[in-house]
Amino acid sequence: MSTIRLQRMPIAPARIALVLRLLSVVLALLTTAILLWATGRDPIALGAKVLSSTFGSSFGLEDLALLFSPLIYCGLAVAVALRIGAWNIGAEGQFNFGAFCATGIALFVPGPTWLMLPLMALAGMIGGALWILVPTLARAYADVSELITTLLMNFIAMLLVYWVATGPWLDPSGMALATTARLPVSVPPIWGIVHWGLPVAVMLAIALALVFTYTRWGYEVRIAGANPGAAAYAGMPVKRQLIAVMLLSGALAGLGGMMEAAGTVGRLQGGISNNYGYIGIMVAVLARAAPLGVLATAFFMAVILNGGIVLQSQGLTTHTVLAVTGLILLYAAIGDEAAHYKILRNKTGES
Amino acid sequence: MISTKSLSRRGFLNMGAAAGAGLLLPKTGLITPAHAAGPLAPVAEEDAHIAFGHTGPTSDEGWTWAHDQGMKAVAAAFPKLRTSYVESIPYSADATRIYRQFVADDACMVFATSNYGDFLYDVAKRAPDVAFYECDGRNPLDNLGTYYVSHWYPSYVAGIAAGAMSPSGKLGYVASFPVPSVYSGTNAFLMGARTVNPEATLQTIVINSWFDPQAATQAGTALIDNGCDVLFGIMDEAGYLQVAEERGAKAVMWNTDLRRYGPNAYISSIIVDFKAFYVEQVRRRLVGEWTPTYDLLPFGGGVDVDAWGETVPADVAAKADAVKASIMDGSFNPFSGEIKDSKGNVKVAKGETMSEQELYHWNWSIEGVSGLDA
Repeated sequence: MSTIRLQRMPIAPARIALVLRLLSVVLALLTTAILLWATGRDPIALGAKVLSSTFGSSFGLEDLALLFSPLIYCGLAVAVALRIGAWNIGAEGQFNFGAFCATGIALFVPGPTWLMLPLMALAGMIGGALWILVPTLARAYADVSELITTLLMNFIAMLLVYWVATGPWLDPSGMALATTARLPVSVPPIWGIVHWGLPVAVMLAIALALVFTYTRWGYEVRIAGANPGAAAYAGMPVKRQLIAVMLLSGALAGLGGMMEAAGTVGRLQGGISNNYGYIGIMVAVLARAAPLGVLATAFFMAVILNGGIVLQSQGLTTHTVLAVTGLILLYAAIGDEAAHYKILRNKTGES
Repeated sequence: MISTKSLSRRGFLNMGAAAGAGLLLPKTGLITPAHAAGPLAPVAEEDAHIAFGHTGPTSDEGWTWAHDQGMKAVAAAFPKLRTSYVESIPYSADATRIYRQFVADDACMVFATSNYGDFLYDVAKRAPDVAFYECDGRNPLDNLGTYYVSHWYPSYVAGIAAGAMSPSGKLGYVASFPVPSVYSGTNAFLMGARTVNPEATLQTIVINSWFDPQAATQAGTALIDNGCDVLFGIMDEAGYLQVAEERGAKAVMWNTDLRRYGPNAYISSIIVDFKAFYVEQVRRRLVGEWTPTYDLLPFGGGVDVDAWGETVPADVAAKADAVKASIMDGSFNPFSGEIKDSKGNVKVAKGETMSEQELYHWNWSIEGVSGLDA
């Protein structure tokens, strides 16, 4: 007689984790389909509609690309911080503040486009880094959880953007409500309305993957994240790395904000971040904090979100989409935990 | 039904193609399209798809519900066409995606029931064969018109009752954003209140949303904590009315009759009705007459004050009703000088009267209103 026993392993094998990850996505979509079917809708027709609307027209592909881009920036921001064991819940705020800083430069500093765009990108990155500076120092020197502080900073940034866009920076022409004037410079398009924000994001993801894989610094960050005590014992500057990585994380989200304001929207206004910062957390978690993985999961989330737009135009509420993303995360979390277990068969009596 | 005739009789601007770019023109004098393009081609009823994009849920019993009634009226008047709608569209690039999706779904006419600015404008520009309407819009195109309600008149009338029913003279206002509809609403309300209560003031709280029951409830609570005894606002739901009911204060609402949420607190509501407007514009679209219009639904023809609440004294109601009658017959215009802004500058001199465009674009607070001017 033999029994089946589960054994928990400290590290989940990558291949099993990947398979379970894919399975969790399929299960989430299947659950959604069953719920749609149960409420009298045709899930196959809806699914076909989502796919044809997203991939079957240049409209759909443009929309997809414009969703993909900010999700990469925010996903990378969260992923980079996760590498060193920090939870940046504040990508939303850094995105807003980066957009705010870049807009300030665009509106109030005159200059030629070739100079303005790098300047605005720099302002966006510095803004994003500044917005995470206090939580970073608090974590590094006072051991305050960055999880709470970065989250709370989001509300300040969001309200700041609402305030400037409806108050001091309000479009003076009167032709637009609750927004700044159109920015005099914009990120140039590469295809249709898709702008350079996307290729820059992809290049950043590849660059970060190379840095984390092939440089000593990337290695040290990984060790410091896995075991700060051991890393410090080995003589690594853990605190300095934590600060550098968290500031880099903020800068990435801030750059995403600059690209959204100066590329996609063309103005600064409240709500510009569109929850990308929060969805970025999901992107990074699903990608297991791997920069190239972020490309895949950000693309996947972009398809889901764009699918949500299509579903809404078919009479489903916006909450359906939120529920689908939540389901995916739930199944992924279960899958991640399950990947740690190995099935053992052994005969009774032996142990 | 909105006719050019009744508009001009009441001294309203006809914001139609010929006369009317005016309403959309701020004083800076930007150029509006000449509308040289002819009407859009007719559409067979069975091929037509009319789409609505909303800022809130259709179940809000307020603004979005009222527009949804309009959509249902369209469906009833033209049973063979297809209608669709999307609720709770954020003011972000997601709005562009949703309006583009309507176009991709072969909509021949799209109504945005809130101001989506560039997010809608960019879509309309790339879809010249689709008719677009933007509620409270500012930026027209050959295929993008605007419609709104002249809510400042009923707000003024409701303000008279509010002023009479406020022992403290402190009025509160739950605002969405500091935008013209909020400026005109607060200013008109306080001007009405001051006709019976000259020392009255109005404090606003901005909550950055048209539909956020929790934030509206908190704002209403804060205003009453601050001594306000009558609340007004521009919310799509009944949140602050319930606060007023619990705290023994009074409230004036928007959109629909909400008295069952606070029978003692309810003074009145700025009632809107878009049914006739929607049916008429869809008819024009189907028969091939449609060119963009810039319509402001008049007092009594799409926007009105609701029947008075049960705790409004008869003499107060009579007084407000008399003023309403004089506004509607054209013998009285409340928006005449002298009007000072919140910094004490005279903005409308004695003897001058604000035009409909100025009321539509109102972007400064009168003296006595706090919380909006930066």
